[in-house]
Amino acid sequence: MKKTGSKTVWLLCLFALPLYAQKSPFKPVFTNMTEFGVLFGQVRYNVNTAAENVSKRQNITAQTFNGVQLRPKLAVGGTVGVDWYNAALLMPVCAGIRYDLAQPGQKNLRVFTSLDTGYGFAWLNEDPTGYETRGGWVIAPGIGFRIGRPQNANFILSLNYKRQEANADKPLGWNEIYKYENRVYNRIAFRLGVSF
Amino acid sequence: MRRTLYFLLGVLLVGLNGCTDKCKETRTFRQFTPRTFTVAQIRQGVQTEQPRTLVNPGKIYTKDGFLLINEIKEGIHVIDNRNPSAPKTVAFLRIPGNGDMAIRNNILYADSFMDLVAFDIRDPQNIRELNRVTDVFQNGQFDGGYWSLNAQQEIINDQKVEYVTQTVNTDCESSVNNGGCTNCFWATDMRGGIQNFNSATGSPAPSTNGTGGSMARFTLYDNYLYTVSQSEMQLFDIKTPSDPKKGNKINMGWGIETIFPYKDKLFIGAQSGMHIYDNSNPEKPVRMSTFEHARVCDPVVVHEDKAYVTLRSGSTCQGFTNQLDVVDVSNLYSPRLLKSYAMKNPHGLGIDFPNLFICEGAYGLKTFNASDAMKIDQLEHLEGFQAYDVIPLGKSLLLIGRDGFYQYDYSNPRKLKLLSKIPVQRPYPAS
Repeated sequence: MKKTGSKTVWLLCLFALPLYAQKSPFKPVFTNMTEFGVLFGQVRYNVNTAAENVSKRQNITAQTFNGVQLRPKLAVGGTVGVDWYNAALLMPVCAGIRYDLAQPGQKNLRVFTSLDTGYGFAWLNEDPTGYETRGGWVIAPGIGFRIGRPQNANFILSLNYKRQEANADKPLGWNEIYKYENRVYNRIAFRLGVSF
Repeated sequence: MRRTLYFLLGVLLVGLNGCTDKCKETRTFRQFTPRTFTVAQIRQGVQTEQPRTLVNPGKIYTKDGFLLINEIKEGIHVIDNRNPSAPKTVAFLRIPGNGDMAIRNNILYADSFMDLVAFDIRDPQNIRELNRVTDVFQNGQFDGGYWSLNAQQEIINDQKVEYVTQTVNTDCESSVNNGGCTNCFWATDMRGGIQNFNSATGSPAPSTNGTGGSMARFTLYDNYLYTVSQSEMQLFDIKTPSDPKKGNKINMGWGIETIFPYKDKLFIGAQSGMHIYDNSNPEKPVRMSTFEHARVCDPVVVHEDKAYVTLRSGSTCQGFTNQLDVVDVSNLYSPRLLKSYAMKNPHGLGIDFPNLFICEGAYGLKTFNASDAMKIDQLEHLEGFQAYDVIPLGKSLLLIGRDGFYQYDYSNPRKLKLLSKIPVQRPYPAS
C-alpha cells in the first residue's frame, strides 16, 4: 500500500512538472551527461581479532545520465554506469535528477546538484571459483559545475558521495560451514565529463 | 532555504558513513575441543529414548516403511514412514559415536566409535542390543572431528565439535581468509550422498536388506557386512545375523569415502578415484581396476554399465572441480570416461533409471533424465534448501539436508511434489 502511495506521488510529480513548464515557452528536450572519474575511499579491516589495518582505495568509475530537461533547471532521467571495485565490477542502474542551483555572475558557469539512486548489478562481474558476488542498493548525491553556454555542449566537473551495497558468498575453508561477506562501499567520486 | 537543507542532508549522509568501505565477513566454523571417554562409558551409553528433534543429521537408511536418520555421533532417529505424507518420529536410539548403519531382516548394525553393535529392532519403541564386536575400528572422523582408540588404556580420544560464528571486518577483497585454509584437506565430510542398494540388485541371500546411500560406509551383500574406514575395508560375517563376527580386513589405500554394491561388484568412492572390486567371492573382494580423477569428494552410483560419479570441491574436499562424470564400466578392468557435466556443488546422488537425482548442496536438488548418457537433460531444479543426500524409492524420493528431511513424489520427474518435511534445528545460521 505504502509502495503504491509513493509511486502515485512520483507519477504526480512527473505529470505535474510539465504543467508548470507550460507557463514558460520552454520545451522539454533530451539531455545527456557522460562522466568518467575515480572513486576515492579507504577501508579499515581486521588483521587479526585484536589489530586493524587501513588501506586506501581508488577505483575507476564511468556513468552516463540520459533524461529529459523538464524545466530549464531540472532534468529527470536514468543513469547507467560501471564501477570497477577491487573485488567487484558493478553496474549501477539508477533513476536520477539534475538540478541547477545557480549561475554565479551570469557567466558560462552553472552549479548543479545531482541525485542518483537504484541498484548496482553484478552482471558484468566474473567471480573466482567459490565466490558469488551480488550487487545491492546504491545512492549517490553530488554537486558539480558545468562550464559552457547553456545552449551548447558543456564540460562537467563533479563531486559525488556514493554508497553502494553488495554482498558475496565466499568459498569455505576446511572446517568452515558458512561464509558470507556484507559490503558497503562508501566513496567520494571525482568525475570529469561532458553534457549536452 | 531548500538548498541549504539539501546540502546539509548531503553533508550528513557523508558524515555518517565517512568515506570508509565497511565490509563484514560472517563465518561459521567448527571448533574442535579434545575430550576423552572410557570404553566402558561408550558401551553403557546405548539406550532407547524419547523422540527428539533433528539437529545435525547425517546418513539416512530405510527399510519396510521405517526410516532411520543418523544424528551425527549421537545416535539414530527412528521414524515411522509408512505414510510418507505424515512421517512420525517413534524413538531416538542413543548410540555414542554412531555414523553409519545397515539393516538385515530385523537386525540393525551400527557403529559406536570402536565397536560394531547389533540391535534387535522388531519393536522400534524398545530396541535391544544383541551383540557387539569390540575394538574393531581403530579411528574415524565425524563432522571434521577425529577420534582414535587407545586400546591399552581403554579410552577414546575424541574431538568435540562446536560451531562458532565470528564476524570480522575485511578489506572488501576476496582474498581474505582468516585462518580457514581453503585448499587444505584432511577431513572428509561424513555427510553426503545416498543411493539405493536394495537386495533386489543381486544379493543371493534370501534375506531382506534395507536401503542406504551412496555416501554410506556400510553395505550388505550375501553373508557379509562391508564397512569401509578411511584406508581399509573391514568385513563382518553375518551368517547368523544376530551374531556378527569379525571377518577379513582389506587394505585399500588412502582417502576411502563410500561403498556402493552393484550386482557382484563393489564400487568404492575414494578421494583419488573410484575403485572397482570383484565380489564374486564375498569373503574376499579383489580389486579389478581404478578410475582416477581429480582429488575431490565423490560419491558413486551405478546403473547397468554406467557409473555416475559426482566430484565436488570446497568445504572439506580438496580440489576445484564440480561436475558429474559418466563412466562406462562395461569393461570393469578399464573404466572409461564418457562425458562430464558441469555442476555447482554436487553432493549425494541417486538413480532410478532413467531418473537421476543430484543434490547440489546449497543450490538445492536437480532432477535429470539420464536415458542417454551423452545427453543428460535437466528436468527440474528445486532451490531454497540445502540438499545432501537422496534415496529414490520407486515413487517417493527421500532427501536430507541441513534444513530438514524432505519427501517428494517423483511420479512426474519434471515436477516433484513435496509430501512432507521434518525440520532440522541446526546450531548455526542458514547459508
